[in-house]
Amino acid sequence: MKQRILRYFTLGLAFVFPPLEADEERTLFVAFAMTKAQEASSIPTDSGIFLRNEEDDSWRRIGPVIQSMNSLAVDPAAPATMFMACGNGIVRSKNGGETWRMVTGWRESDFIKIAIDPKNGDNIYATSVWGFHLSRDGGDSWTAANKGLEETYCRPIIVDHRKPKRLLLGTGNGIYESRNAGDSWTRARNSPQSAILRMDRSRKNPDLWIAGSEGEGVYLSTNDGKSWQSVAEALSETNVYGVSLHPENESRMAAGGWSQGVWVSNNGGESWEYRNSGLPSKNVTAVVFDENHSDRLWVSTFEEGTYYTDDDGKTWKDGDLYGAYVFDLDFVARAKE
Amino acid sequence: MINLYSQIRSQRGFAVVALFATALAFGEVAPPAAEISEADLVRQYRERCEYVIDQTVANTDPSDVTRGSSFTIAANLFRGENLDWARERLRLSNDPPTGAMFWMHPMALLMHAGRDQLNDDDWAFIRELWRTYFPYRGDTENHWVMYYVSLYLVAEMFPDAGPADWYNGKSSKEIMADAKEFILDWMRITTSYGQGEYDSPNYIEEYTRPMALLVGWARDPELQQMGKMMMDYILLDYAVENLGGLYGGAHSRLYPRYLLQPGMAHSAAHAWLLWGQGEYSSNGGTLMIAMSGYTPPSILFWIASDRDQAYVHKELKRTRWRFRHAGPNAFEVDGKKTIPVYKYSYVHPDFILGSSQGGLLQPIQQQTWSLVWREENLVGKSNTLFGLQPYSSPIEGTMYFNSDWDTVTDLIARSKVDYDSPDKLEGGSPYEQVFQHESSLIALYDIPEGTRFPLISTLFSRDVNRRIEDDSGWIFGQGGPIYIAYRPFAPGEWKPVDWTGLLKGGAGAWFSTGFKDLSEGSECLVSYSLKNGYIVEVAPVSAYATYQEFQEAVRALPVEIRLKPTPKVRYTNLDGVELEATYGGAPSVDGQKVDYASWKLFDGPFAQAERESQSLEMIYGSERYVLDFKNRSVEPSVLESQ
Repeated sequence: MKQRILRYFTLGLAFVFPPLEADEERTLFVAFAMTKAQEASSIPTDSGIFLRNEEDDSWRRIGPVIQSMNSLAVDPAAPATMFMACGNGIVRSKNGGETWRMVTGWRESDFIKIAIDPKNGDNIYATSVWGFHLSRDGGDSWTAANKGLEETYCRPIIVDHRKPKRLLLGTGNGIYESRNAGDSWTRARNSPQSAILRMDRSRKNPDLWIAGSEGEGVYLSTNDGKSWQSVAEALSETNVYGVSLHPENESRMAAGGWSQGVWVSNNGGESWEYRNSGLPSKNVTAVVFDENHSDRLWVSTFEEGTYYTDDDGKTWKDGDLYGAYVFDLDFVARAKE
Repeated sequence: MINLYSQIRSQRGFAVVALFATALAFGEVAPPAAEISEADLVRQYRERCEYVIDQTVANTDPSDVTRGSSFTIAANLFRGENLDWARERLRLSNDPPTGAMFWMHPMALLMHAGRDQLNDDDWAFIRELWRTYFPYRGDTENHWVMYYVSLYLVAEMFPDAGPADWYNGKSSKEIMADAKEFILDWMRITTSYGQGEYDSPNYIEEYTRPMALLVGWARDPELQQMGKMMMDYILLDYAVENLGGLYGGAHSRLYPRYLLQPGMAHSAAHAWLLWGQGEYSSNGGTLMIAMSGYTPPSILFWIASDRDQAYVHKELKRTRWRFRHAGPNAFEVDGKKTIPVYKYSYVHPDFILGSSQGGLLQPIQQQTWSLVWREENLVGKSNTLFGLQPYSSPIEGTMYFNSDWDTVTDLIARSKVDYDSPDKLEGGSPYEQVFQHESSLIALYDIPEGTRFPLISTLFSRDVNRRIEDDSGWIFGQGGPIYIAYRPFAPGEWKPVDWTGLLKGGAGAWFSTGFKDLSEGSECLVSYSLKNGYIVEVAPVSAYATYQEFQEAVRALPVEIRLKPTPKVRYTNLDGVELEATYGGAPSVDGQKVDYASWKLFDGPFAQAERESQSLEMIYGSERYVLDFKNRSVEPSVLESQ
């Protein structure tokens, strides 16, 4: 069932959580390509972005059908405004998905992730394999902004809800921080040297961040992304494509990677437990805690389906998507019907 | 440089050239020059164009609406033939539309070439396709060129169409502005730094098709002019390394079937249409050219046809843009990284030996070097010899493709099914270094322990006859009109070209169709020594009284080979030139280091272009034909005197 996310007020802490609307609903989306049945062809048999329909436990397509659709972002302050990160560029809807427009030109391509300033929806940030891009006009125009980056290959991007001019970016050689809304970048202390594949930030404790890397496993930051430490020794040489922090319990976190399956920590990253038993594959491409079901964890395996557990990985239930290569599995604000 | 021009006299509108001298043995007296006027050249070319269109229409079965491509529909509409079939086939083949830019460009052709035949219902159907089908822009250079040219030309048909009329939510004016900017920028980059997807005997048509569209149907005079110039440019790029329809030299991309039988490649179909060489074969690129009205400048014909004298032709190209692992030799153009590719071709009346410097220059399908030789009839001929270090790695995949480290190799092999096989016939390797001087080629390999496929492989096709493994260490053979000597640095074993092992779960389809016929009788010399190399020496049969004499001459050549700590060779070739190369170092010719830094975009007797010049000068005798992309102009001229 749908569950409303209330504005967080954490007594004793000197901050107020992001300005989520009191009645904001969040929904799970998936971006994937159906690659398993792809034989003697470079074209997947299907691809797209789908929203989870909890009424009937199904996936409902949103937006156009384009090959290479990698992620979805929704403006939390105006959930009818959505952006899709695609191979072709960025595609935007301003009316809840009724119509779409490609808002980038030929110079921009191969986008992976999009983040929106929660206080000012004109500021949109997007990563692509060619670099970091930003828009100051709600996505109408885009500029490359790679000043300070050693490598322009970029994947995860997160806006600091407390200070929206602060961004954390995962690049081809580690984590970078911007304090001027993307105009320039500096490298985070003790960041992994390798590519950052995925990042998440705790909603419960915004000082807590997690990152999955290419070949260097899982990294945690407990000081708001200023410095990073390696955790989860079993995954220390793994390509970790999925990381997630529990939305309500800062002690709980999950990570999943190639050939190592999914691992969970219930003590803030001190120790990690293998939770892949029952899953059909150890090749994990996405991991996310459910924001509507407090004990639910979602995991996507490479071409073998997406699954969820409600009992900390003891048993897994089929979430469909057999054959899919899931690029992104995450929660976004839901546009009001 | 040898004088290519002695047999050529140019007059206004008339030229006397030594044509089809190709069957001659090198060094023999040339036959009387064939005479052909420019008017006859054009007439014959136009006749071939008509034939291409006629054949496409003739091969249409109007009783079968389940078969027929958009090209065929377009040709029928163009001719006003089989209209009922065309209408039905149009609808059936687009239910639903697929293929992205491979759907877009024949659809653009169909719309333009068939516009007089299409009725209101047809247009409504087609417009709805463009409103609802969101094509992928692709991930290669040819994809983007086809995408934007098609999109431009279709938008130009409906200049007032608004955002609601298009799949991407942009107006026709926005689409045209964006597409035109890309097209002109692609031309600027190509004519400044070299093409990324360079010299591909099969992908050449993925460039001639969109250029033909611009030539034939762009209303924008600038784009039409630039399309014509770029078509000339691409064809010149081919013509200088053409041998009777064989696209010689090093190639960015080549499929195994064309590696094994070079005369089957799409470039051969182009040589027939454009220059009357070889045999007709059905081809989308030539159909588009034929329908477009494009007429190549006559100088291209002379350059593609005159093989009376041997020459060296060098080119500077570049790799596909790299977004990861670009390496220390990378340079940036507008924020994107690439690596220079130094091409060297020795074009002889009887053969082309051509190479690039080796290394990872292109993903998946690179041919670092090749030897092809002339054959009277190319059908079924495997007239080639080439070598490689079969390499596959996520490093290579993630350089160019937006995919994950752990999936990229697998996903590549879903379509390029031999990519991750030790038996493959194409691909670059970071452990390969190649160097060539005229008809001598040296390849060195230093393969680290633990490399996925720790071997090198050299294909001796079934048409390398009279093969002898000599006690001297040389392997001799004869391919048509040439003798070949191959000196391996380490022992190897002969293996048949076995295709069956390359396919995973029966995958392959077109990729492997007919492969038995293509490969049967050909063998690879496979060596597992990690420090390795070889010399290839080629000579025309006509230069020696007997095969034995050639062998004796080669046996007498001084060769010093050292494999450790890293491969090194000093070798004096049949012309008495001393070549020296050390893996990781700059090679030298008679003690002079090869100066790659001075490499031009085109540097040969038929073509000259400086790096970043955005221009190309074609040269034939006293004729000059300059493509000036900066000023969007073409300047043909005839020199007063030599």
